[in-house]
Amino acid sequence: MTGIAHANVLVLDGSTGQPRETLGGKAWSIEQMRALDVPVPPAFVLTTQVCQEYYDGGQELPVHVWSAVPEAMSHLEHVTGRTFGTGDHPLLVSVRSGAATSMPGMMDTVLNLGMTDGVSQALAAQSGDPAYADDTRERFREQFEQVVGVAAPDDPWEQLRLAIIAVLDSWNSRRAVSYRRDRGISDDGGTAVTVQAMVFGNLDNRSGTGVLFTRNPLSGSAEPYGEWLPRGQGEDIVSGRSDALPLDDLASVMPGAYTDLMTAATKLEQHSRDVQDIEFTVESGTLWLLQTRSAKRSPEAIVRHAVQLQRQGLISVSEALDRIAPEHLETLLAPHIDPAALDTATTVATGKPACPGIATGTVVVDADEAQDRAEAGENVVLARPSTHPDDVAAMSMCQAVLTELGGSTSHAAVACREMGIPCIVGCGEGTVTGTAGQELTVDAAEGTVYKGRPTIVAGSEGEDPDIVQISTWLQEELGGDAAGSLAELLRIRSGQ
Amino acid sequence: MHKEIRVLQAVRLKGRPQAGDIARSTDIPAESLDALLSRLVEDGLLSEARGRYKVTPEGKERLHELLEAERASIDTDALLSAYRDFEPFNSQFKQLMTDWQQIDENTPNDHSDADYDARVVQRLGELHDDFLPLVERIVSVVPRLAAYRDRFSSALAAAVDGDHSWLAHPLKDSYHTVWFEFHEELIGLAGLSRQAEAAAGRAE
Repeated sequence: MTGIAHANVLVLDGSTGQPRETLGGKAWSIEQMRALDVPVPPAFVLTTQVCQEYYDGGQELPVHVWSAVPEAMSHLEHVTGRTFGTGDHPLLVSVRSGAATSMPGMMDTVLNLGMTDGVSQALAAQSGDPAYADDTRERFREQFEQVVGVAAPDDPWEQLRLAIIAVLDSWNSRRAVSYRRDRGISDDGGTAVTVQAMVFGNLDNRSGTGVLFTRNPLSGSAEPYGEWLPRGQGEDIVSGRSDALPLDDLASVMPGAYTDLMTAATKLEQHSRDVQDIEFTVESGTLWLLQTRSAKRSPEAIVRHAVQLQRQGLISVSEALDRIAPEHLETLLAPHIDPAALDTATTVATGKPACPGIATGTVVVDADEAQDRAEAGENVVLARPSTHPDDVAAMSMCQAVLTELGGSTSHAAVACREMGIPCIVGCGEGTVTGTAGQELTVDAAEGTVYKGRPTIVAGSEGEDPDIVQISTWLQEELGGDAAGSLAELLRIRSGQ
Repeated sequence: MHKEIRVLQAVRLKGRPQAGDIARSTDIPAESLDALLSRLVEDGLLSEARGRYKVTPEGKERLHELLEAERASIDTDALLSAYRDFEPFNSQFKQLMTDWQQIDENTPNDHSDADYDARVVQRLGELHDDFLPLVERIVSVVPRLAAYRDRFSSALAAAVDGDHSWLAHPLKDSYHTVWFEFHEELIGLAGLSRQAEAAAGRAE
C-alpha cells in the first residue's frame, strides 16, 4: 500500500525501506515480517522523526502528523474489514513505543484502544460472549488510565491521540533518561509509535491463539513444538493455561491455517537464521503472526540446533560454534546415573528439583555438624526440615542439599542455585531427616534421592553424533595439537 | 546488653562470620565490637577459630533468654500486624528471585540478556521503595533491627551499580541474604517457628 501522504507516518507494508533507527524496534520487526510476506495484523508507524519534531516544537504533536493519522487508520480498516470506534465489526488497535533499542521506563503498550459503549456491545454480539466484552472494556480502561495517566475519554480518536502523546512523553521519563545516561545512548534518537490492528482469538470456533517454536526448545529435536488454545485470547497461552492443546489439534481442525503457520515459521527461521519463538492468533480461520523472536532454549537444544542449522546451510561452522557456550556442552555431557543401575537402585525420597546436579555423600541433619565434617574433607549431604539463614554457610560446603518443606522458590532453592549446589526441596515431612548417617546419592536434575552409590556415568563425547560433529569442527579450527575437553576447546577458541 | 543481643544474633544468623561480617550486620563500630567480641569469648558465649566466630551452647541459651525478654517488651500487636503486611512483599520478592534465576521453569537465566537482568534489578528497586516504609515501621517496634535499613539499601545500591551478585549470592550480604535474615527475625519475634510457617506455605 502506498499513497500515505506523509513522510513520517508510514504504513508497514514491507516496502518502507526504512532502517531500525527510524521505525523503532517494534515496527521494524513488523516490517521485516511483512517483507517476507508473513501475515501480520496491519499496522502503521509514526517514525522517530516525529518524536524529534515533537520535542523541537515544545511537546506539541505536529498538526500535519496528526492529520495524516486518519488515512493510515483507514488502511487498517480496509485490511481487517473493520471500522474504528463504530459499526458491527469494530476495529481495536494497540499503541506501542519503539526506540531503536528497547529500554525500561518507556511506555509499554495500550491494548484494545478504540473501545466505547457501542464497540463493547458490538464485541459482545460478535463473540457471543458479553462477559468477555465487559472484561476487555474494563481491562482497557484500567490499562489506559495506568499507562496514559488519565481516564480514557469516550472519543476513540481522542484515545488514540492521547496514547500517542503518552508514548512520545515516555521517551523522557525519568527512568528512560537515566537508562540512556547509564549506557551512553544518545537522547536524540527518539521513540517511534506503532499502531496495530488487534485480532481476536476468541471470536468463534475457528479462532484461537498459540505459540510455536520452529524446533523443540527442550529436547533439541528438529521438530516444531508448540501449543494452541482454541478460543483463547492474548496472554492466555503465554501465561501457561493448562487446557492448551498440542499443535496437531490445529493441524486437524484447520489444516489451512496450520500450513500457513508452518510456511511462515520456515521463512522466519531461514531469514533470521535462528530458531524462532512465534506467537500467533487465528481469527475465523485466518492466521496472524503477532511476534517472533529468537527462542530461549535448554542447553541441549542450543547445542543440537546449532549443528542442525549448519547442516541445513543456514549458518557457517564458525557461527555454529559461536552459538555454543562451554557451559552448554558441560550440561549436555554432565554425569548422570547409569540407566542400567536404576533398575536395582532404591529410591529413598523424591522432591522438586531446585538446582540440577548429581552427588553422593553422607546425610547430616545438623548444619553445624555438617560444616565441621565437610571442612574435615567428608562428602556431606545436608538434610533439613526447612532452611534457616544459619544453614547457608554449611550449605555452601556440602555436596548436596535436601529439604522436607518448601518449593522451588524457597530460600534453600534460591541459595543453592546461586552456588550451583545440587538441591531437592519439598521431599515431604519426616522423609530425609530420618536418614542421618546413611550414604545417599542425590540426582537433583530428576528430583530423586537414591540409597547408596548407584553407578554414575559421564555423558560420552564419542557416541552422540552432534557431539562428534562439534569435536571434528573444533579439531579442524584449532588444529590437531589442541587438547582438552570439548568445553575447554571452546574456551580456547573464544580466547577465554 | 542491647549490643550483646545484636552480636549474638548476628553470629547465629551468619553461621560462622568474621568480625567484619558482624560489624556490618550490627552496625557497631570496629573498636567497640572487638572489645565486645573478646568479652563474649571470655564469657564462653562465643568461640573463635581462625577468625570466625560461632555461638556456643551457653551463648545459644543466653541469646534465647535475651530474645524472650525482648519479645516480652515489644508491642506484639504492632509486630503481628507488620508481619501480616510483610507477607505480600515476601511473595513478590520470592517471585522476583525466581525470575532472576529462571527465565522459565526449564530455563535457568544464564544472564546473557542484559535487558532482562536490568528489568529484574529495576523491579527490585521498585519493590525496595515500597518495602522500606514497612521496615521503618518494624524498626520503630523493634529498634534492634535498625541496621537492616542500611543493609537492604547497600545491597540494592551495589546491584544497581552493576555487581549482580548482590541480588542473591548467599555468602554475601546480598538482598536475598538480608531478606532471609530479616524474615527469620520476624518469625522469631512473632513467636512462630519457621517450620510451622513453611508448612503453612508462608516461609519456605
